[in-house]
Amino acid sequence: MADQTPNTEPVDAAEENILLDVKNLKMFFPITEGIFSQVKGYVRAVDDVSFFIRRGETLGLVGESGCGKTTVGRCIARAYEPTGGQVLFHDNGRSVDLAQMDRKALGPYRKDIRVIFQDPYSSLNPRMTVFEIVSEVLKVNKLIPESEFEQRVAEIIQLVGLRPEYIRRYPHAFSGGERQRIVIARALVTEPRLVIADEAVSALDVSVRAQILNLMEDLRQRFDLTYLFISHDLSVIRHICDRVVVMYVGQVIEVAGVNDLFTTPQHPYTEALMSAVPILNPRQRHLQKRIRLEGEVADPSNPPSGCYFHPRCRFAEAKCAVEKPPLRKLANQDRYVACHFAEELDLQGAVMT
Amino acid sequence: MAQKQVIQQPGLPLSDPTQPSTTVDLEIASQWKLMWWKFRKHKLAMAGGIVVLLYYFVAILAEFFAPSLPTTYIDQYVFAPPQRLQFFQDGRFDPFVYGYGFERDPVSFKKTWLVDEETVIPVGLFVRGDEYTMYGLITSDLHFIGPEEKGQPFYLLGSDKSGRDIFSRIIYSSRVSLTVGLVGVAISLTLGILMGGLSGLVGGWVDNVIQRLIELLMSIPNLPIWLALAAVVPIDWPALRVYFMTTLILAVIGQYSWTYMARVVRSRFLSLREEDFVLAAMLDGCSTWRLIFKHMVPSFLSHIIASVTLAIPGMIIAETALSFLGLGLRPPVVSWGVMLQDSQKVGLIATSPWLLYPGLAVFIVVLALNFFGDGIRDAADPYH
Amino acid sequence: MTDPLVEIKDLRIHFFTDEGVVRAVEGIDLNIKPGKTLCVVGESGSGKSVMALSLLQIIHKPGQIVDGQILYHRGRVAGGQFSQNGAVDIASLNRKGRDIRSIRGAEIAMIFQEPMTSLSPMYTVGNQVMETIRLHEKGISKKEARERAIDILRRVRIPKPERLIDEYPFRLSGGMRQRVMIAMALSCTPSLLIADEPTTALDVTTQAQILDLMLELQQEFNMAIMFITHDLGVVAEIADDVAVMYLGNVVEYSDVDTIFNAPEHPYTQALLRSIPKISATRQPLDMIEGMVPSPFRRPGGCPFHPRCTQALASCSTVVPSLTTLHENHIVRCLLHEETGEEVPRG
Repeated sequence: MADQTPNTEPVDAAEENILLDVKNLKMFFPITEGIFSQVKGYVRAVDDVSFFIRRGETLGLVGESGCGKTTVGRCIARAYEPTGGQVLFHDNGRSVDLAQMDRKALGPYRKDIRVIFQDPYSSLNPRMTVFEIVSEVLKVNKLIPESEFEQRVAEIIQLVGLRPEYIRRYPHAFSGGERQRIVIARALVTEPRLVIADEAVSALDVSVRAQILNLMEDLRQRFDLTYLFISHDLSVIRHICDRVVVMYVGQVIEVAGVNDLFTTPQHPYTEALMSAVPILNPRQRHLQKRIRLEGEVADPSNPPSGCYFHPRCRFAEAKCAVEKPPLRKLANQDRYVACHFAEELDLQGAVMT
Repeated sequence: MAQKQVIQQPGLPLSDPTQPSTTVDLEIASQWKLMWWKFRKHKLAMAGGIVVLLYYFVAILAEFFAPSLPTTYIDQYVFAPPQRLQFFQDGRFDPFVYGYGFERDPVSFKKTWLVDEETVIPVGLFVRGDEYTMYGLITSDLHFIGPEEKGQPFYLLGSDKSGRDIFSRIIYSSRVSLTVGLVGVAISLTLGILMGGLSGLVGGWVDNVIQRLIELLMSIPNLPIWLALAAVVPIDWPALRVYFMTTLILAVIGQYSWTYMARVVRSRFLSLREEDFVLAAMLDGCSTWRLIFKHMVPSFLSHIIASVTLAIPGMIIAETALSFLGLGLRPPVVSWGVMLQDSQKVGLIATSPWLLYPGLAVFIVVLALNFFGDGIRDAADPYH
Repeated sequence: MTDPLVEIKDLRIHFFTDEGVVRAVEGIDLNIKPGKTLCVVGESGSGKSVMALSLLQIIHKPGQIVDGQILYHRGRVAGGQFSQNGAVDIASLNRKGRDIRSIRGAEIAMIFQEPMTSLSPMYTVGNQVMETIRLHEKGISKKEARERAIDILRRVRIPKPERLIDEYPFRLSGGMRQRVMIAMALSCTPSLLIADEPTTALDVTTQAQILDLMLELQQEFNMAIMFITHDLGVVAEIADDVAVMYLGNVVEYSDVDTIFNAPEHPYTQALLRSIPKISATRQPLDMIEGMVPSPFRRPGGCPFHPRCTQALASCSTVVPSLTTLHENHIVRCLLHEETGEEVPRG
């Protein structure tokens, strides 16, 4: 197994504008076998992840399938009970650790952190009307008197661009894009501080995707929201995010402002991701110098030694196989990278189209 | 929200021209309405449903619909063949049946039934006949159909070894046979939802224990265990207690018992647990109780109903088989299985094939229930 | 203009459901050129996948080809030389007949979005690749088939094919499975490969690998590719020609450069404006108004008119016909009907 030195503390101590601070988050899923479910090992879905989200920003969380980005989102929303680490939520001068709270203590924070799901078909209960779906969180948490539900739901439904008359309808009456608006309404009805959008536009048609992205940006400005935007789609990340966290096999390998990340990546894996971004202009096809990654993504239940990326990295040296690079802050920059040779490498950004 | 302003962006569905208002019905229809619309299109299932409803209706009012009591007999008409109902007499509507005559074969002395066209037995609707007491409440002698003059032979489906009317006995039997299905399924459903729910929701060792128990029960061969249990039932128990014992046995052991329901319920819970809308409800802060009964159970209720409808015919068949073998209900209780006991002798069937009519009754209702259940199952998921 | 390998003429495919008739494909005219890549791009409900299935006559009930022709010029290869066998109208062939079976898999092959559902979990990769080879080449020995299978797996750049050939599909990653599917499709050297969203389920880096592989193999095998996708980024990368579909129609057809740099149909223009660009900053995106209508409520006239910003009064009643703007650029829009010449219906 790789060495267990925890990643260094990435948060600037002077930073005050932080809404959520994730520290050394771990989420292991047991692998069981046999009739009596003996534990044979663990899938290290999230393995020592640290990052923070500033108030009012949109933080992208990007990576390929199986890298643990969805698990990170669900740990923060506390759909899962994290195996270890802290999720510090700073609001109204208070600081609480959501990671270790029990279900009861979490109650008041459910309304502050809300989730937008990927699949607008499976995330709405087909047996409930739009009104019932959106007002559920108001009802179970008794946020406002029941007599005001109708007005509140009608308002929020209008804000996401649907007719208020629609609230008596069932989800089957709506198209994919309209359903996603309902999902957004359900997330925003509590006036949350942080919204976790997990692949919020990936399941939508191209022509509808732009509508939802614009709506989300509009609502962010209007209500001073903070987004954690989880996606595998780099062009969407590029469009909507301020900063981006890149994950690979359960670990953060790079954190940077969106412009820096796309123009001057510092981690070889980020570079490979950037080179895979499709170029939208057929006249610029020849500009693409695609980096072919050798081999397969590492198995999170049996990761390689040292840097998890070293078996596929074209710059790997002996050190990479032995020593795990910590996530460290680059001098004089607001960016973090987990690579021994970040300063020495000259890496290519995405082709701008 | 503080602001009440509407985001005015052109072309949002606020002014969607592709949605004419005539379709509003469909859009605000609840799941039950959608199910009904879909079910209505299923012709065979509709027919099945109507047949099933008719059966239960007749069973509820058995005393009224049966021309005679199940115990009424005329000893000179033993194994009498079915009479044909004639509708017209001298060109006008006046239903009647012909009387019986017989002759003896001079060699074998066997009795051969003949139709005696000289004797006309007038038949009427809403006639006075045997007196009965329905559910210990209503005493009457009014029958839906029967001979206008009490005591005349009236055997639409023939008579049995004691000269009792098979038609009347089939009607009385339906009450027992059809409710064995219902009561049995109700018991197995309750047990199944309880155990399946526990298994699917709690998981861990509880799930393990329940699943092993189900496998154990399912691997016991049905017939021998029924035999053993039937042998344990004391011979002097009252009919009602035997009846409940039989349904209980059917509900606990067998193909359509609670084990089947428990597996259906468990698999539903397991698949629903993965659905995003359940996760969303959990993140809304719903309690476990609310999660189960508000968000999960309604999603598979229609499937449970379909499974139930499909389990009832199995129960009916099982009861019939059990009673046929003499293991379940016994005379004087009348059920289809009990009646079919008479047809165990092959020789009798050759001379009196009408003894098999109770089998036809079983056949029709089981088929109808299956069509009905299939239709419900198809309609149960109106979103696909 | 090179002679086409496949000519689709006024193809109509309807689905007769309980709820009504869905006109999934409503008059498509399209040419596939030998040795070239045609990208068919469209949103859900555009009929692009149904159209692809019709090329192999594998439309399932209640769907049915109700009108039109699919002329397949057998044996025509890049360079435009004429075939000896003449043209076959696939649309008129019996779905279960001998003719279509000799084309299906052997001359026109298809790969799908989710390779796991197209591969049997019960057989090894080798079994399945060999099965395809032996099905179309009778009399080949088991040993030869195995060697051919290893060879074809090597050609789709699968590392250590001798070892992988005895693995079961679930042991492979998504990208590897898609390679196996491509290997199976190529095992009979088809003249046309239909790829229905083959990279949608894959990660970006894997997608890039598969796209590169397909283009390399196209050169190697000299085949035409019909690539169905909703992703304009993919189109820009690999297409020679592009057909843009909307609600069962091809609304615009041209070479990739024209589609991206000088599109004429309002839908193509709007679609291109609505996708986020890598170089752009956080400006609001240009949107297409409204939603894709339900297939049961296909608008009359031009199906795009309710969402079109340039719609004329007549757009809601008149069905626009195909207009050739210049060679290899066809558009179906009333705005262009006067400027161009009308294409005679074949």
